[in-house]
Amino acid sequence: MGFIGANGAGKTTTIKSILNMIHLDRGEIHILGKNMAEHELELKQDIGVAVGGMNFYTRSKIKTLTNTIKKFYKNWDEATYRNCLRKFKLDENKRIIELSEGMKIKYSLSLALSHGAKLLILDEPTSGLDPVARDNLLDIFQDLVVDGEISILFSTHITSDLEKCADFITFIENGQIIQSMEKEDFKESYRLLNGNESQLHQVKEKLISYKTNSFGFTGLIHFSNYDPSANIKATVPTLEEILIFFAKKEDMYV
Amino acid sequence: MYNLVMKDLKLGINPWFLAMPFLIGALMFIPGWIYLLVLQYFFWISVPNIFGQFKAQNDLMLTMTLPVSRKDKVKPRIIVIVILELLHIFVAMIFSLFTIRLYPNVDYFFFAPYMGFWGICFVMLAIFNIIFIPMYYKTAYKYGAALIASVVATLLFSGVVQWLGIQNNFVFDTFNGSGADDTTLQLFILLAGITIFAVFTIVAYNIAIKRFEKVDI
Repeated sequence: MGFIGANGAGKTTTIKSILNMIHLDRGEIHILGKNMAEHELELKQDIGVAVGGMNFYTRSKIKTLTNTIKKFYKNWDEATYRNCLRKFKLDENKRIIELSEGMKIKYSLSLALSHGAKLLILDEPTSGLDPVARDNLLDIFQDLVVDGEISILFSTHITSDLEKCADFITFIENGQIIQSMEKEDFKESYRLLNGNESQLHQVKEKLISYKTNSFGFTGLIHFSNYDPSANIKATVPTLEEILIFFAKKEDMYV
Repeated sequence: MYNLVMKDLKLGINPWFLAMPFLIGALMFIPGWIYLLVLQYFFWISVPNIFGQFKAQNDLMLTMTLPVSRKDKVKPRIIVIVILELLHIFVAMIFSLFTIRLYPNVDYFFFAPYMGFWGICFVMLAIFNIIFIPMYYKTAYKYGAALIASVVATLLFSGVVQWLGIQNNFVFDTFNGSGADDTTLQLFILLAGITIFAVFTIVAYNIAIKRFEKVDI
């Protein structure tokens, strides 16, 4: 599941709430069918987390960090861990700070997979990676989820990553879930309209937001408000366009 | 909990600080010195460095992702502090035995390192813990204000106690004079100090848990 929203929309806050790092004003968190507040320890055994990259004990060697961390997990599988190191070409004598951003994520993944995590919660795993590393990481994600044992929740503002690999999309804006559904349905539920100024007046009220330029306007509209007979050029938007027009809507009201 | 203690000792704390008790303890070899200062060096050098490391290494982030309840994250850290404190005091105690043998004819102006004196040291550690630990757990990473407050409090305490030890005949007698030969009295003071240390640390632990529960990370 891809978790998208502009900067400051509340992605990291949501993830921190899930991990019981911050206090909830209201509501409950359920993971794998269990209430997080009641089953925190049990659930944390089944969750793999990477929040804000590997930014702790960066001067320590992978070996040292792993030896410390693995003791906390009941289902730690050394063979899986060794496999991951080999597969991801991680040298356990390297220090965390010597790893590239992509390698850090791979190390987090190795830890998560080795303790048998069923859910991986990744906060912006692909931000700061070059296109090759991103593509490589997305392939790894797809391999992981393919047999249905493991689910990944990952937040990002790089929507093209989700175009490539997400099955579901949850879109948040200002702390509120706007939509949460299958990716294709999500995109299908909006239309991007292109037209001239006179056409803008016909649909202006129904648009989520719009931009004008010398040729006319571009605007995002809910599919339910879209009238095909109006003869305005309409396309299915990309995730990025949806994100941008929702952000623009915020600006319009400020 | 054992795992978190080991995490701090192996990963969080530089091994150097486990050797520090021996260096700091060696200050006990200075004849007739203000021995109350010996443990102060732990507050001045080890504590800020260790807690600075925790902060710089983003220890809290790692700790939060581990499958341990919040309550159980506080206890190991306090145990680690107590281990270090006990290490400092025991090493200093052992060294003081040599000091007494090495310089049998020194006239002690300040407290002589007999058992009663170690009782006072335990009270000093108790005061440090009850101020430092609860203040630290308001954020679980900022240690500056907590350190200043606790060091000032322990300095005031040791200043007053030492002043009494010099000015007041009864106190002087108890710790340096005839009282020093009274093993029962000395043992009683030591045990009283240890009890205060234990009680204050447990109280500090309970306040710390309550505060840490409320921290947003």
